Amino acid sequence: MTRPWFLQGRRTRAFLRNRTAIVGAALAVVFAIVALLAPALAPRDPLEQNVYNMLARPGGSHLLGTDDLGRDVLSRILYGARVSLIVGLSSVLIGTVVGVFVGLLAGYFGGFLELIVMRVVDVLMSFPVLVMGLMFMAILGPGMDKLILAIGLVLSPQIARLTHGAMVALRDMEYITAARSVGSGPWRILRRHVLPNVLGEILVMATLWMGTAIRVEANLSFIGLGVSPPTPTWGNMIREGVRWLAVTPWLAVFPGIAILLAVLAFNMVGDGLRDAMDPKLH
Amino acid sequence: MIRYVVRRLLMAIPTLLAVYTVVFLFVRVAPGDPAVAALGDYASAEAVQALRERMGLNAPLWAQYGRTLLGYLRGDLGRSLITGAPIGDQVAAVLLHTLQLTLAGVLIGALLGIPTGILTAVRRNCLPDYIGRTLGLVGLSIPAFYLGILLILAFAMNLRWFPVMGAGAFTDPWANLRHLALPALTLGIIMTSFVSRMTRSSLLNVLREDYVRTGRAKGVGERAVVYLHALRNALIPVVSVLGVQTAVLVGDSVMTEIVFSRPGLGRLMVQAMMQRDYIALQGLIVIYGAFVVAVNLITDLSYGFVDPRVRYD
Amino acid sequence: MATAYHVQGVEASYLSDATLAFVVVGMLVASCAVGQGQVLKIAFDAADLKSLDPHFAAATMDRAVVDMVFNGLVRYKPGDVTEFEPDLAESWEVSADGLVWTFRLREGVRVHPFPGAPDGYELTSQDVVFSLAKAADAARSAYSGEYVGMKVEAADTYAVRITLERALPASLFLPKVADYAGGFIIPKRAYAALADQFATHPVGTGPFRFANYVPTQRVELVRHDQYFRGLPRLAGVEVWYMPDVTARLSALSTGEIDIIEGVREQAWVDVVKRIPNLAVDVFGPGETEVLHLNMTKDPISSLLVRQAIAYAIDRTEVITAIGADVAEPLCGAVPPYLAGGLTCDEVKAAGLLYEQNLALARALLAAAGYPTGFEISANITERASYRKPFENIQAQLARVGIALKITVVDHSSFHTLIRQDVNPLVHYEAWRPSADAFLTRFYHSASIVVSGAKPDTNFSHSKSADFLIELARYELDPARQTAMWKEAQLTLLREVASYPLYVLKFVFARSAQVNYGYPLKSTLALYPQVNELTSK
Repeated sequence: MTRPWFLQGRRTRAFLRNRTAIVGAALAVVFAIVALLAPALAPRDPLEQNVYNMLARPGGSHLLGTDDLGRDVLSRILYGARVSLIVGLSSVLIGTVVGVFVGLLAGYFGGFLELIVMRVVDVLMSFPVLVMGLMFMAILGPGMDKLILAIGLVLSPQIARLTHGAMVALRDMEYITAARSVGSGPWRILRRHVLPNVLGEILVMATLWMGTAIRVEANLSFIGLGVSPPTPTWGNMIREGVRWLAVTPWLAVFPGIAILLAVLAFNMVGDGLRDAMDPKLH
Repeated sequence: MIRYVVRRLLMAIPTLLAVYTVVFLFVRVAPGDPAVAALGDYASAEAVQALRERMGLNAPLWAQYGRTLLGYLRGDLGRSLITGAPIGDQVAAVLLHTLQLTLAGVLIGALLGIPTGILTAVRRNCLPDYIGRTLGLVGLSIPAFYLGILLILAFAMNLRWFPVMGAGAFTDPWANLRHLALPALTLGIIMTSFVSRMTRSSLLNVLREDYVRTGRAKGVGERAVVYLHALRNALIPVVSVLGVQTAVLVGDSVMTEIVFSRPGLGRLMVQAMMQRDYIALQGLIVIYGAFVVAVNLITDLSYGFVDPRVRYD
Repeated sequence: MATAYHVQGVEASYLSDATLAFVVVGMLVASCAVGQGQVLKIAFDAADLKSLDPHFAAATMDRAVVDMVFNGLVRYKPGDVTEFEPDLAESWEVSADGLVWTFRLREGVRVHPFPGAPDGYELTSQDVVFSLAKAADAARSAYSGEYVGMKVEAADTYAVRITLERALPASLFLPKVADYAGGFIIPKRAYAALADQFATHPVGTGPFRFANYVPTQRVELVRHDQYFRGLPRLAGVEVWYMPDVTARLSALSTGEIDIIEGVREQAWVDVVKRIPNLAVDVFGPGETEVLHLNMTKDPISSLLVRQAIAYAIDRTEVITAIGADVAEPLCGAVPPYLAGGLTCDEVKAAGLLYEQNLALARALLAAAGYPTGFEISANITERASYRKPFENIQAQLARVGIALKITVVDHSSFHTLIRQDVNPLVHYEAWRPSADAFLTRFYHSASIVVSGAKPDTNFSHSKSADFLIELARYELDPARQTAMWKEAQLTLLREVASYPLYVLKFVFARSAQVNYGYPLKSTLALYPQVNELTSK
């Protein structure tokens, strides 16, 4: 049985030698800790309004100032990490599960089903990610759960194509034919033969998609179709901040830095993983 | 080659049909009523009903589906439910702005990205490589709308070098370019990151190929190896990335157009979505689909120019 | 201004002959009008136009264009909505029984040029009859409801006779034929020539005529050389669509744009006031911001709970969140600037002000069976002028244990959802031209969402004021009518069908050089009206 890549020492070592990846991983860990410990880290309640202290400058009792309802910006950014983490993780999970399922099914059964399914996948992939996210949000309506589902569905075609490719490559190999002829079902073949081959790539893709998911969330929130208030999210904060760009530019700038760092972290880790998987690049 | 193009164009028809069908169903599932959006909240209930009737929204779904499709076959995108203006005219009025923005972004990306990619590959694991790669990652991570906001803050609001609003008329090239600068830079920075990363890894791959090693062994200078032999082959995947990313850029251009209040397909589309202008939305997405198909085709054809070994059949 | 200054100087130093000075003034004015004609640029908070057909135009940016291109029979005095003055009609009279209104039209009013009529034509009673018929037709007008029970005919070329089924007081009749919504007069032949293009190619009689439309960017207007009030001082007006306020403000401060729609909040007004060479206009009449309480949804259906909500809310706090200059307290359903509106003092005198009292609010909740509060959820649009006060209300209600869960949806979905009666609380922003329109459309049982006879915007399901609303509508004595409208509002306050919050004024910023040509206090055009006297 092939062992998954991350249990193989050579690749782990390659990953650990990659400084960018290590920095990224450290950033990602910080991000996760902030998200988990936000209630302990935040100096104030992120929902507490004070209309008598709106748009306060950074410094003093509010380290990063207050927003246009007098809420503490630092606390809102810290809590915002939770939304980004939840949306990122859950949507990538959904996207991966749906994608693997669809890709495998199409690849395993082939024929007309495969033709139709992969055609739809191609069509969906031809839409820009944001456009597709917008359409899903328009149908599903607002809310964090819908947002997660929408972003997950946007990601799934890519995973489906990847899994499908791997499945097709294996389909005609003798040992698969042999496995099928002795009655191995699709799940067994998936577990034994397909997944080990694509797991690494899926992991790389999922990591990079974590970053994309956080970005798509920010985009949709920026347009006004994201998570509902009062839950602080980075995209919502920028959207609100942009109204005050000429007055208090930091309101839009600070949460943007948070988005940038979080996305950067996952991109760095994803890059490192990809390099570690592909020894040629070293 | 012509047969290849014709075949690809024929293959585009079912794709676009699928795009239309998907969008048609999507928009009708979403809540919201274009009649209310068009008339505002002071309108009388009878007026809203009358408008729904006139918009054809009370017709059976299959009839709405067929009517629009027949229009497309005649080259007619229909009329906006909100303004009543022909969608073809609306698209024509803004298409050039979107194309200009996208092309400018791709151009900046290619001009900056390919040299940076070569530099970071040749000086692998040296300082320029680290700087280049880090900046590339930042460029990949930053949301387009946020980058746009930062550029507005710096170059439009503080330094006042460029205007923030709209797009200049094409009849006034100087104003046009000044308006284009910041949005194009926004997309260009993102594109540069993609291109330089792709150029780097592609070039590194090629430099390990046998013929490059042979060249080196035969004493061909390092420069000649890189620029004459390796680069040409390394550029093939770069061209493909340019193509794929041009399609991605369309998504980013939506946000850029919003942030810079620039006329364009992206803004038309978000507007149509917000107002539930079904007819406009369908038309615009089909145009997007056609655009993506065209970009993919041009990308595939350009392989032939970069690498004469590629044959179309 | 510059002209007068120069002339004074000239007169003082060189000229003693008054006649000569007069000629010089004439020449300077003429050269100013023809040679200096500037193009004024206004930017609105919109992505694009919706409809420039005045009988459909509803959004601010569309009403603005319509205001410059069209006229009514009468008009609200520029900059002051409390007075009517002649517009296309030079005079009017009403029969003793109040049923027949006769308008005498100004002669020589020229319609803008349009395809097929390069020099336009003279507007006559035929056009007025056509236009009012169109306004009454639900298929060609969004405001048809306002024109039922009205017969319009041409008495002669320059006279129009309108016969009503039931007599209306002038305060309710004149708005129907004024320069607002269905009252704008559309020239018959121009409408016939343009047909369904009219929404993007309006043709009227106003100081500016339509020239060009660039989708998602701008509409260009040029001055109407034959405008009946004289040649407009501006050569043209460009209306820009710029949904981003930062872009608008930057464009204003760099001089790319002359007038912009601002943010209707104090902090923004204060910042712009500090920028040199810019001026801010905060003007009325303003829109009412009201929290409607759905009396059919548990637990809001309990009067005790509604009273608790009223006592939990501090109106001053919401107003502070928006700003005292732009938000004025609203204590009744009809704003005090309209005939029949209630002032806060009157509401207080009636003992219905519900001044914030958290202890009382908690006690009322306990009495209603909710000692620890309850949870409700409501939709709100993503638009900041709705969402921000609603978020503040959310925080205020939390203090007495009422957990309001907010779902933010796009504006289009919001309008659909609240009309489907899904919200226990509806925050609504509105302007209506009369007390009757406010009361009928928000509180008459016929207007109840979904189940009313003519479903409209009665979100509270109130019907207790029906009788007074109907009685007041046809009351010809203004004093008695006003008293009935006020009593109707007190009835509504007693059952807490809604909690009126504030009147939100309009905020525009402009370059200090722009001179509207009239003092701006309030305008129904909802933007600082640009007319033949405006200059920059």
